[in-house]
Amino acid sequence: MTDLTHDPVTFDIIQNALEAIADEMFVAQRKASMSAIIYEVLDLSSSILAPNGDIAAAGAGIPAFIGVLDKAVKGILKKYPLDQVRPGDMFASNDPYYGGVTHLNDMVLTSPIFDGDRLVGWVANIAHWNDVGGNVPGSMSSEATEIFQEGVRIPAVKIFEEGRPNQAVFDILYVNTRLPDFLKGDLWAGIAGLRIGERRVLELTRKYGVETYLAAVADYMDLGERRALAALKALPPGVYDYEEEQDDGAIHKIRLTISAEKFSVDLTDNPGQKGSNNSSREGSEIALQLAFKTFTDPEGPGNGGCFRPLEVITKPGTIFHVVEPGALGYYSEVEIRLFDLTLRALAHHFPGVVPSGNFASICGTVMGGKHPDTGRHYTIVEPQIGGWGAWQGHDGPSGQFSGFHGETFNCPAEIAEARYGMFVDQVALNPEPGGEGRWRGGKGIEVHYRVRGDGNFLSLGYTRSRMPPWGQGGGRDGSLNYVELRRTDGAVERYAFATNVVVNTGDVIRIMTANGGGFGDPADRPEAEIARDLRNGYLTPERAAEVYGYKA
Amino acid sequence: MTDKITRVATDVGGTFTDLVFFETDLATGQQTVRTEKSDTTPPAFEQGVLNVLDKAGVDVTAVDFFAHGTTVVINSLTERKGAKVGLITTKGFRDVLEIGRGNRPDFFNLMYKKPEPFVERYLRREIAGRVDFRGQEVEAPDLAALPAILADFKADGVTAVAICLIHAYANPTHEQAVLAEVRRLWPEVAAVASHQITREWREYERSSTTVLSAYVQPAAERYLERLENGLTDKGYAGRLFIMQSNCGVDSVQSIKSVPITMVESGPASGFWGAAELGRIIGEPDVLALDIGGTTAKCSLIKDGHVTIKTDYWIERDRKSAGYPIMVPVVDLVEIGNGGGSIAWVDEFDKLHVGPKSAGSTPGPAAYGRGGMHATTTDANLALGRINKDYFCGGSVVADMAALETALATLGAKLGMTPVEVARGIVRIANSNMVNALKLVSVNRGYDPREFTLVVFGGGGPMHGVALAQELGVKKVVIPRGAPVFSAWGMLMSDLRRDYFVTELMDAEDHSALGRLLAATEARALEDFARETVPPEKVTLKRFVRARYQNQEFAVEVPLQDGPPDAASTAAMIAAFHNAYEREYTYRLETGVEIIGIHLIASSEVGKLELVSLPRTDASLTAAIKGSRMVDYATEGCHEATIYDGTRLEPGMSFTGPAVIEDPGTTIVVHPGNRVEIDDFGNIHIALWG
Repeated sequence: MTDLTHDPVTFDIIQNALEAIADEMFVAQRKASMSAIIYEVLDLSSSILAPNGDIAAAGAGIPAFIGVLDKAVKGILKKYPLDQVRPGDMFASNDPYYGGVTHLNDMVLTSPIFDGDRLVGWVANIAHWNDVGGNVPGSMSSEATEIFQEGVRIPAVKIFEEGRPNQAVFDILYVNTRLPDFLKGDLWAGIAGLRIGERRVLELTRKYGVETYLAAVADYMDLGERRALAALKALPPGVYDYEEEQDDGAIHKIRLTISAEKFSVDLTDNPGQKGSNNSSREGSEIALQLAFKTFTDPEGPGNGGCFRPLEVITKPGTIFHVVEPGALGYYSEVEIRLFDLTLRALAHHFPGVVPSGNFASICGTVMGGKHPDTGRHYTIVEPQIGGWGAWQGHDGPSGQFSGFHGETFNCPAEIAEARYGMFVDQVALNPEPGGEGRWRGGKGIEVHYRVRGDGNFLSLGYTRSRMPPWGQGGGRDGSLNYVELRRTDGAVERYAFATNVVVNTGDVIRIMTANGGGFGDPADRPEAEIARDLRNGYLTPERAAEVYGYKA
Repeated sequence: MTDKITRVATDVGGTFTDLVFFETDLATGQQTVRTEKSDTTPPAFEQGVLNVLDKAGVDVTAVDFFAHGTTVVINSLTERKGAKVGLITTKGFRDVLEIGRGNRPDFFNLMYKKPEPFVERYLRREIAGRVDFRGQEVEAPDLAALPAILADFKADGVTAVAICLIHAYANPTHEQAVLAEVRRLWPEVAAVASHQITREWREYERSSTTVLSAYVQPAAERYLERLENGLTDKGYAGRLFIMQSNCGVDSVQSIKSVPITMVESGPASGFWGAAELGRIIGEPDVLALDIGGTTAKCSLIKDGHVTIKTDYWIERDRKSAGYPIMVPVVDLVEIGNGGGSIAWVDEFDKLHVGPKSAGSTPGPAAYGRGGMHATTTDANLALGRINKDYFCGGSVVADMAALETALATLGAKLGMTPVEVARGIVRIANSNMVNALKLVSVNRGYDPREFTLVVFGGGGPMHGVALAQELGVKKVVIPRGAPVFSAWGMLMSDLRRDYFVTELMDAEDHSALGRLLAATEARALEDFARETVPPEKVTLKRFVRARYQNQEFAVEVPLQDGPPDAASTAAMIAAFHNAYEREYTYRLETGVEIIGIHLIASSEVGKLELVSLPRTDASLTAAIKGSRMVDYATEGCHEATIYDGTRLEPGMSFTGPAVIEDPGTTIVVHPGNRVEIDDFGNIHIALWG
């Protein structure tokens, strides 16, 4: 085969291969990982990137990680001029101020790919490590005020130099964690993923030639852009404002300026940074990219071209653009608030284009302590599933991961009981009212963990704990996300954000996630559907009478 | 009656019911083979089986071994034509079936619709009682709650009851008690408990498996009974064996209680056939590819060993989470690319092939039945790879005008000529299949260049060589009877059961491992004794499922015979490190833990041993039908010699470019390929000189 077969079918074949490679990297890393948050929750992503750092193809378990790795590689390219990037190098960064993007728990690994001495692209991945040191187990603290309290900072350094491991970096990583075995396994799983990706990309460049390969990559991004622009043309141009009150009383504001070529988001007028509830500018971009993608072109490939029409305007020193040394542990709650705010603004100005609000929080929950059987330390780090909003023609789905998570799996109760020092007394749908409408919101969950030992801990970060998921078109708002801790003496404590709450034998941690918002006037819901909800116990007779005016 | 042994296998597929008949003359050793196809006859599928027996002129009174595979189970699931199921589960867990694992595979889609549970919430009932993760009872099961639950089920029209309790894999006594009570209170209802099907953890997967098994149970039972009766009426006196998804057969009695194990019986027997073929021709490392009308399926066979796993799902793809079925199923990758896959151009001018299929009605454009879309088959016709004058073995007149129009429509959108479009379709279809073959080989640490590609199904032989070239495979084998290969594989199958049992332990704990093995082996021997197979006739193969501490995914490694001791444990751990490094590229010094075992118990129950075909000294020239121009896509057009596949004999050989035409399939031989027919009539194609 000749080098310059720039025919469309060859492009298709290379582009399909890029997606397959990104998936293969993802699967390899997932399967080899030690931490449940990686292999079950799939808090990881892998990408193949163009030489300039634009994403060519991404394999991810979670959509919130699709657009992360271009920012990481570009961050690294800021620190290292191209002449310092050598074949066999591998970079590591977890520091959002140096190409790390999200928070210190998320480690980015990336390698340049050289065909001979020609840089043909990058492979990169990012994964959530359970513990990177810092003030608290799990490293994420709702009380942190500076990044120094959140763990070890790895500011875009070479972990391999021209193929030789930089042992100093490995050693530093291994001691800066409460869970060294996990960290070691997760690190090597990431390295394995990159090696496989690099090998596969080189198979492509060698088979089709570097020029054809790079042309196919460029063509693929152009396709992404064409698809996004096509969707944008369907929207009426204009300036659209929206603001929303948060659980803590703060007001978040967004201004969308839409034209046929551009989707511009202005976040200038927002609260100043504080605590660990901040996001880097890049993190805010990711949240907006995700909203833009779900709204414009959910079907298409997730490459850098899709996001070219998106413009983001932020102000340094605000929660959406934190500056050093601000803390970012709970960056994800800031991002998901922004994601949800964008969708809500769209729903407000263009009713029905997106479903009603869902529980819209990561509901990050960390529990741990000494395992009562093995004596080894255990940590559960998990996002929760919750209720989704209804849309025209469909009730909302129940018990699903948030818009930030995707091909993510909850931990089976049988595995949780065997692995962690907790009993799981129930895994059920949330029985609380909320989300009624012509189409009703989906149900959140009510999961009960019973603690098996003394001196264990609980940390969490939930939003939508005071301001519920939003209904649309007369549909009712949903219910709230929170944790209720029932002590053995009968005392009851309720939490949304907390760090290191001590829990003891017999205490029950009740995780409640919100029911999603309804769509349309409850008065329009047909009796048969109300009767079916009653029969299935999704609705109580009292609530049916109150909201639907229904009498059996 | 003992001068001949007659074996018959029938395989009910979506469109056709296939039959393979082997008669071995004990005196001369000579074998007579017949294959036949007739239409599948839903919903009375057994009728199609009886029809094909008649059509082939099989005297069932003389049949010694009868094996049967069927799509009845998978059809019942995908068409939602099963029983109304009631689920009984542990207090606090009735919503597990609705919550599933919470994943959203189509993750940019905010309007993702979660798969509907097979049991609505009001029919999911809970009973108190609890076993812990060590299998110890915490609270006795509340059997007193059952009469009221069953009364409600009856009133609501339930016809099958599924029972799945938390941690029943570790200790099934609560489930056994509930099942016995259900049977006592309501003897006529179909009932199944999770421990009868699986002894692995994960409550959602186990609940789903149990529910789906209950869902198909009444229909499968009726079907198997009608088939048995039909055969008995015709005078069949032998035993009926049913193909399962684990590459083995089992008795019809045992299948009736857990019919879900038939879910992938067709592909399983094909892949088993490929492994057995590999054994016969001395090729233990095989990449097997089965291309049908709608999909292509592939599997990897290493050292003659077919991998059996329990993470099988139906209806799972990039758009849907699907439903798990945790039964032993051959490890396969399936993609929506078959002969009938439709080529289409999206709104952004990209050419795609599949996953939508034209099926058999209207079928490819060239069927002339009103199909407007070009399919892979059409592209193969347009390129001269399939003979337009011998389409479907000469039974269909190819509508070349319809084909031309369909290709021209795509060409107009793409700015390409019809021939360029046809080449594009074949190249994209091949690229999709190459990616699937890589998933089962390179993705698992195997180098495809070290494997022989065995292709079968109606569409496989057309693409085999092109795929082998892409992958660097040196040899392609097309088995004799490739179009009915699944039925062929059944005749080679053993009575087999796979036992996957979860129990978490340290790798060095050989006494715990010994206890688990002994208990499971005893269970297997008991099960086989019930099938009248004495212990000395049962072959046991033991595997340990191990991982580094705290990981999730286990690697399966073999364990030596005899009670595990320090030495065999050390060997097993060493094998684990090697297997792990092959698949994941690195190894760790971290501790190793065992999450359970996989025990394969099997016994021969009438397996066929092939003998060589006779040679008649016919000349190769007699097999030549002529020649025509064939477009080899990336290799250009060449004048190819056309051979009649039915007239090829052992010992014949020739060189490509060539096309071998068989009534059920077309074999495309590329320029420079060397073709040889082996003693059993299989076609070997050597690439790279």
